[in-house]
Amino acid sequence: MRPENYQAVKLGQSNEYEIFIGPNHPGIEGNYAFRLMLDGDIVVSGKADAGYLHRGFEKLMEGRLWIQNLAIVPRICVPDPAPMEVAYSMAVEEIMGIEAPIRAQWIRTMQLELSRVAAHLFTFGGHAATTGMYTPMFWGVADRDLVLDLFEDFTGGRVYSIYNIPGGVRRELPPEFLQKLSNLLDYLESRQNDYDNLLFTNQVFVDRAKGCGALTQEQALELSVTGPNLRACGLAYDVRRDDPYLVYDELEFDIPIQTAGDAYARILVRRDELFQSIRILRQIIERLPSIKGKIRTPIPNPLSWNVRKGEAYARVESSKGELAYYVVSDGGDKPYRVHVRGPSSMHAVQTLEFLAKGARLEDVAQIMFSLDACPPEVDR
Amino acid sequence: MNKVPIDEILNKVNGIKITHKRKTRIRVDVDADSLPTLLELIKGRASYIHLSAITCVDWIADNQFELVYHVWSYEEKCLISAHTRIDRGSESNPAKYVSVYDLFKPADFFERDIFEMYGVTFIGSPRMEKFILTEWNGVPPMLKDFDAEAYVQETFKWTDYNPDWLQELTDQGGGIAVKPEDIRTAGNTHNMSTHRERDKAKAAAVKANEKMQGWKQ
Amino acid sequence: MKKINYNDKGSILNPLKNLQFYARKPVTEPLGPRPASASYRGFHINDLDKCIGCSSCQKICDNAAITMVEVPSIEEDASKGLRNLRPAIDYGRCCWCALCVDICPTSAIEMTREYVHVCDGDETDSYFIFPKETGIHGDSFEKGWTKTEDSDLLDRARRPMGEMEPEARIDNFDEIVDGFTMEMAIEEASRCVDCGLCEDACPAHMHAPNYIRSIYEGNLEQAVEWMYETNPFSHVCGRVCTHICETACSLGHGEGESDPIAIRWLKRFAMDNVSKTKIKQIARKGKSRKKSGKSIAVVGAGPAGLTAAFDLVKKGHKVTVYESLPKAGGMTRYGIPNYRLPKDRLDQDIEVIQSVGVDIKYNVKVGTDISMAQLQKDNHAVVMAIGMQMGRSTRIPGSDNKMVVKAVDLLRMIPKGDEFNVPKSAVVIGGGNVAMDIARSLARLQKQKYNEVNITVSALEQLGKTFLADDDEVIESKEEGIVILDARGPKQCVIENNKLTGLETVKVISIFDEQGRFAPKYDEENLQFHEADMVVEAIGQMSDVSILGDELTEELEWNRGRIQIDGNGATSVEWLWSAGDMVKGPDVINAVADGHRVADDIDKFLNK
Ligand SMILES: Cc1cc2nc3c(=O)[nH]c(=O)nc-3n(C[C@H](O)[C@H](O)[C@H](O)COP(=O)(O)OP(=O)(O)OC[C@H]3O[C@@H](n4cnc5c(N)ncnc54)[C@H](O)[C@@H]3O)c2cc1C
Ligand code: SF4
Ligand code: SF4
Repeated sequence: MRPENYQAVKLGQSNEYEIFIGPNHPGIEGNYAFRLMLDGDIVVSGKADAGYLHRGFEKLMEGRLWIQNLAIVPRICVPDPAPMEVAYSMAVEEIMGIEAPIRAQWIRTMQLELSRVAAHLFTFGGHAATTGMYTPMFWGVADRDLVLDLFEDFTGGRVYSIYNIPGGVRRELPPEFLQKLSNLLDYLESRQNDYDNLLFTNQVFVDRAKGCGALTQEQALELSVTGPNLRACGLAYDVRRDDPYLVYDELEFDIPIQTAGDAYARILVRRDELFQSIRILRQIIERLPSIKGKIRTPIPNPLSWNVRKGEAYARVESSKGELAYYVVSDGGDKPYRVHVRGPSSMHAVQTLEFLAKGARLEDVAQIMFSLDACPPEVDR
Repeated sequence: MNKVPIDEILNKVNGIKITHKRKTRIRVDVDADSLPTLLELIKGRASYIHLSAITCVDWIADNQFELVYHVWSYEEKCLISAHTRIDRGSESNPAKYVSVYDLFKPADFFERDIFEMYGVTFIGSPRMEKFILTEWNGVPPMLKDFDAEAYVQETFKWTDYNPDWLQELTDQGGGIAVKPEDIRTAGNTHNMSTHRERDKAKAAAVKANEKMQGWKQ
Repeated sequence: MKKINYNDKGSILNPLKNLQFYARKPVTEPLGPRPASASYRGFHINDLDKCIGCSSCQKICDNAAITMVEVPSIEEDASKGLRNLRPAIDYGRCCWCALCVDICPTSAIEMTREYVHVCDGDETDSYFIFPKETGIHGDSFEKGWTKTEDSDLLDRARRPMGEMEPEARIDNFDEIVDGFTMEMAIEEASRCVDCGLCEDACPAHMHAPNYIRSIYEGNLEQAVEWMYETNPFSHVCGRVCTHICETACSLGHGEGESDPIAIRWLKRFAMDNVSKTKIKQIARKGKSRKKSGKSIAVVGAGPAGLTAAFDLVKKGHKVTVYESLPKAGGMTRYGIPNYRLPKDRLDQDIEVIQSVGVDIKYNVKVGTDISMAQLQKDNHAVVMAIGMQMGRSTRIPGSDNKMVVKAVDLLRMIPKGDEFNVPKSAVVIGGGNVAMDIARSLARLQKQKYNEVNITVSALEQLGKTFLADDDEVIESKEEGIVILDARGPKQCVIENNKLTGLETVKVISIFDEQGRFAPKYDEENLQFHEADMVVEAIGQMSDVSILGDELTEELEWNRGRIQIDGNGATSVEWLWSAGDMVKGPDVINAVADGHRVADDIDKFLNK
């Protein structure tokens, strides 16, 4: 239901009342609404209300040539668009039975990790803002912008890179790029103390985040929670390691976990992960120059490209969790079906509804953001 | 505990077809009747507890929906995609299938999504209602027979621009030759190349438009 | 990395540590747009001279942002593959994906680093832009995203075509070119961008994009079906067509190495791989069940005459073709050597045409065996398509010797199996493809008979510049041991005691005069003598119009020695049409196109 034609439901005698939050509010990266039944300031029940960002991507993709879809998939998640391109390309490659050249796989891995860094920075800021702290948000967004500068440098686009193509990536890295990347990583590391002081060890934040929106591991598994949200419940599960793709099996990284399963645990996992990504990127900087060769396996001219019959389920670990593309081809020049399984579709609906129950109204926004849900992954 | 090989468990299901696609992907095909049993088996006996997704594919030519249940095992580190086909149904008799909500809670989300986008009713699913397209009253939009492109052409207006440069070209006898919608409405970007084909495309576009008008009424 | 323990309480003082920021230099960003990166995907520019109007950018555009606009001031030339369409972009739709840049066959469209455009609500027209050398605001910006070898979405290289080695081919008339395998054909076909420039360029407007796509999809029967819509000489054209389509092909317009699609070889591939029975079925498609009761006579069973006959029969008319020679095909049989066009392929084309119901009467020479007047009397319409059977002479001194022969006469003798004395050494005058055909044919015969090749080709034109024959022909001739002397004009055939001893040539200074008319100038001092037992003149052919008879010749309108026709091939005489080499030329596909035009016009005339 849209806010303008929203009408409060008439209820019998009760202390309960309903409020509608959203579709624009600090708890979410995008437009998404939530209907809450409250008793005092305690949530009795919540109901997710999606659809504000539904652009019919899955339908659109059925009407577009295989490579045209690369221009729309990143739009499914603004904060972390790279995994969309990569997962889609990987699915198509699997159907075609082709593989991106090894150098392209390294570059893709780099792109994914950079994207994760950008996304986590964004989430730090957003999460902090839900507790009333805005400086981390400014910082997060400003630092993220430095990452976007690099995206602009090697992909030509700041947010929607449209850099992948089935069979590889579209462009070689510009000269000096790895040096720039290295400088950026130095800078980000130098910021760690600032962030720690301002946010992660700030008692005001710690107090608010601890215990907020806590999930047990069982509950998380039952709700198909993945990504940092799952790792915050003590399960060291990561698609990068457990269903490896690209070159992750050649890279060393830890999978940070926490056990409390609450908002604080989640943001700590993200914090640690960001530094794991930096660690991965450092390895890439070291290895990439020695990995020579092509960056694209040729595909037929895209205007007449018929992808052979088949289907593939390509999974990657996005900054939010398990992202999967299920792609079906009937042998035509357009996909027959593309199903986008965004991690947020699990986090923003049932999990959120579950966690909101019994929470205080003031915590709802924080619960939402601590789940790092991206509404377009629900709406598509 | 002795680990039973997954094939042995899968083979308990009648008429199952197993394809090992790669190390972490198994595709199985079962009849609609056996699918819930299969899911129960792999969840209960083989640690496949993570429902990654349920996908619906509209095979309109076969008059069937394909439902694909993607289930992951954290222990086996393997994904089973269970495929089954159900009757596509009709307007008066919409497609139905049984919910797996009692096995996998997230089925709530996926089944509601398929209900909304394809019109399949999942019996036993807690919320068979609209979620994303609450204001949409047309046919479930992901159905292959819903022509989104035609709907867009019909519903939205193309912006008519008339910048100076265009006016100049028009005055010289040139101007707009092929609009993007000319090659799109015919639903096929191929063979639109020559002038002759372009005329055909235009004619097709007009026809398609007429069809849409009828559809609206 | 410093660890944070979940159980730590943190401190209220921690954030205050950041007060140190007051002591740091503030971060300031200058107002105004910052410069974009070197591969930034900003506003488009288009090099209007490079752009050929192929519309590939429009087709790949995922947002339907591109409208093709016609620019009348730009030259259009179908035979060169140039359209005057240029892309205009709706920035209300564009998403700056740069797919248009990466697909553009000519690399005309590119992106700059410009990205700021501000407009008021009532200035939305400024969103619809016509990119030129300068961008949206007419300013010059540095280039951003341009096509690189990696980002290029097109496959520039033609699949290599296998050929017989010179040693293997020189002593026989076996076909030289191998042809594609299925895999190669599909790969080659996959390169097509479906721009249709080829179709526009082809005189018969063969649906090349369609059959290429069918081949790509592995549906060869469908491909042949597309071919037969416009060309009953598809076997012949699949081998020897002058392939103007490939000149037009947008892929051939690319910078650097960029080959056009091998359209001709693809056609050959499809034809070779569909059974004759199936092709006959395809050829019959669309044949009218009704008989019109009208009859038409066609003079000459060459490509022009037979195409007209094929069409007319399919339209329900009765057609009789009169051919003076024992077999049909005209110059494709009695001119083009077997090593380029194996005669069984030609036979098949003709068999298919006959299977539709075309009746050919062989060994009937119109003008001597039956008169034009008779044909007119017996039929509702007559088509003249007698080609150009007579070789032209240089008329230089000595050219009347019996060892000075015309290329076409000689070429005709080879497939007919007529005996003639193969010269031990020969000079061919002429630099066109016919000269190459006769030179290479003679070379083969010499090799067979004397085991050595001794042929010189003497041409007015300069190799590598103005030379007329195709490059392939020149290369292959040289491989076969033929000597090509360019920029030489024939002076005289030297005769001693009534016996030809050779040809004397002079150096060419220029070929055309200031008005561009053919008027070669020679350096008479620069003489050269070429010993030869035979001199072959290959400088052009003409039509034997004497067969028309005086009365008809008188009645017809003429245009510089050729019968005058209108755009549909109709002559000034109501019942007579003319097609092919005798009125237009110069090749098979033009003859085929003529045949269709004439048939359409006759059909209209008969149905009036
Ligand atoms: C050596 C040579 C090589 C060539 N190579 C190529 C090539 O590679 N590619 C290409 O596209 N084109 C080529 N051409 C040109 C091509 O062969 C001709 O353009 C084409 O055959 C013209 O077709 P047509 O039907 O007009 O005439 P023709 O093919 O010449 O057919 C005319 C027919 O009429 C018959 N005829 C003539 N007078 C009479 C009469 N009085 N009564 C009855 N019948 C008569 C002739 O015997 C002949 O069969 C070549 C030509 C020559 C000479
Ligand atoms: S693809 Fe290139 S050459 Fe073709 S119309 Fe577009 S800009 Fe011009
Ligand atoms: S950049 Fe992309 S969206 Fe824009 S005109 Fe080119 S192809 Fe279309």
